[in-house]
Amino acid sequence: MKKLWYKANPSFLAKMKTDVEKEYPDLRVFEKDNTIFIAGTFPLVYEGETVDRYEIELRLPPDFPDSIPTVRETGGRIPRKDDRHVSANGDACPIVPEEWLLRPDCDSVVSFLNGPVRNFLLGHSLVEEGQPWPFGERPHGPDGLFQAYGEMLGANDHSVIWKYLDCLSRERIKGHWDCPCGSGKRLRNCHLAKLRALREQVPARVAKQALMRITQLMTKM
Amino acid sequence: MNANEYLKKVLQSQDLADDSKEMQELQSHRKDVEELIRNGFGDSAPTIRYGGSKAKGTLIRESYDLDIICYFPHDDTGAGKTLEEIYQEARNVLSDDYYVEDKTSSLRLKAKEETDHSRADFHIDVVPGRFTDDTKTDCFLHQAFGEKERLKTNLDVHIDYVKESGVRDAIRLLKLWNVRKHLGLRHFILELLTIKLLDGNKSVGLAKQLELVWEGIKDVKDSIAVQDPANPTGNDLSGSLAEVWPQLSGAAASTLSSIEASGWESVYGPISEPESHKRVEVLRRAAAAVAVPTKPWCA
Repeated sequence: MKKLWYKANPSFLAKMKTDVEKEYPDLRVFEKDNTIFIAGTFPLVYEGETVDRYEIELRLPPDFPDSIPTVRETGGRIPRKDDRHVSANGDACPIVPEEWLLRPDCDSVVSFLNGPVRNFLLGHSLVEEGQPWPFGERPHGPDGLFQAYGEMLGANDHSVIWKYLDCLSRERIKGHWDCPCGSGKRLRNCHLAKLRALREQVPARVAKQALMRITQLMTKM
Repeated sequence: MNANEYLKKVLQSQDLADDSKEMQELQSHRKDVEELIRNGFGDSAPTIRYGGSKAKGTLIRESYDLDIICYFPHDDTGAGKTLEEIYQEARNVLSDDYYVEDKTSSLRLKAKEETDHSRADFHIDVVPGRFTDDTKTDCFLHQAFGEKERLKTNLDVHIDYVKESGVRDAIRLLKLWNVRKHLGLRHFILELLTIKLLDGNKSVGLAKQLELVWEGIKDVKDSIAVQDPANPTGNDLSGSLAEVWPQLSGAAASTLSSIEASGWESVYGPISEPESHKRVEVLRRAAAAVAVPTKPWCA
């Protein structure tokens, strides 16, 4: 059995704990049932003033940082509704996971808190006041995934997005493959350069996760 | 926004919520006062409750006083044999924690410590008194000033009279007018005057109600007679009303002219921006400052 990430690399956890608790003194990093949790009060600070506060809990997955933390608002303030981007079990979806996993600082929990978590809670404070989500919102389900992956890949058509992800999910890209753009040409005669450039940004692991996520959601529908 | 909507917004801006800083401070003082009184007169079991505008629902943020009534049983002498003794004993007990100023029938609480030759006013009046009998309804109050030494009153009659008048919104707006124009009319008398002038008009719009009151006051040479519903014959309010009547009558006339010439905002001013608007503004600015926006999604 694979060793838990934080047991395999205790110094990584120690640094994370230091960083999180330094940036957010009201959050606590702790282990419970072989899982690392980060829980407490999260302040929304703007120009040195705390404009709002939320009670939150982050659960770091066993394969962290290859998967993103699960986020929950634990104060009972955010309704568990799709239009609040919170599932019935309380898990919030502050971002399409693969969008985060492509970030160079995706292994930093502080960056995750400063980015998607803060943006989500700030958005929620505005929604509570009857305002729209400040940065927009993704459609629910696979459509939201296709939208996010489409932006990532520079494509709109779902089948083209799927084919790009399929190519990117392989360890090596080969020129004799059909081009995912649907032109009917060989990749070497069409979008090979684009795909190689995407490879620099989208590791095979992330493309595989994206395909798996779409498949899971399509199967559920 | 029409005149009635505008006036409703003015009223909203004058609400003092129970969880507001001011109200929490008042409630904490009330707790303190109650503790002082109960410790000071432990065996006497006085009735301690809110009176005044808090109890009647006519409180306004711009000028709020909290009346805490403290009535002793009619046959109890623990706090004093006479009404004056009760008044003085209550004064002594409260002086442990407060600087106490005498008012006609109540005790005004201020901070003990002076800062720059003045004391913080806690906006609290403690009203000591004694019930007239076992029914604990009518009550006698000591009168520290004036011709009479005691005044018969009934808190519940006052509260019900105002609550059941159906014109509490108009009362609150007229209190605000009275305060802003420094007319000096006692709020209790203003309540009675408003109820009297709006008799039969409680279903008309708020703007019309105010106009009716001002119309009823302006150009009237002698003050209108009002009666204390708890003591119609024993509490003569005519002197207090007559004293300020000329100012009141003149202010009513100029207010009506001002509305005609410049609209309602000339009386109550622009509506201050609600707290939620300010909050939204700050949150929006915080969102605009986000360097890397992200969009939420849901599986």
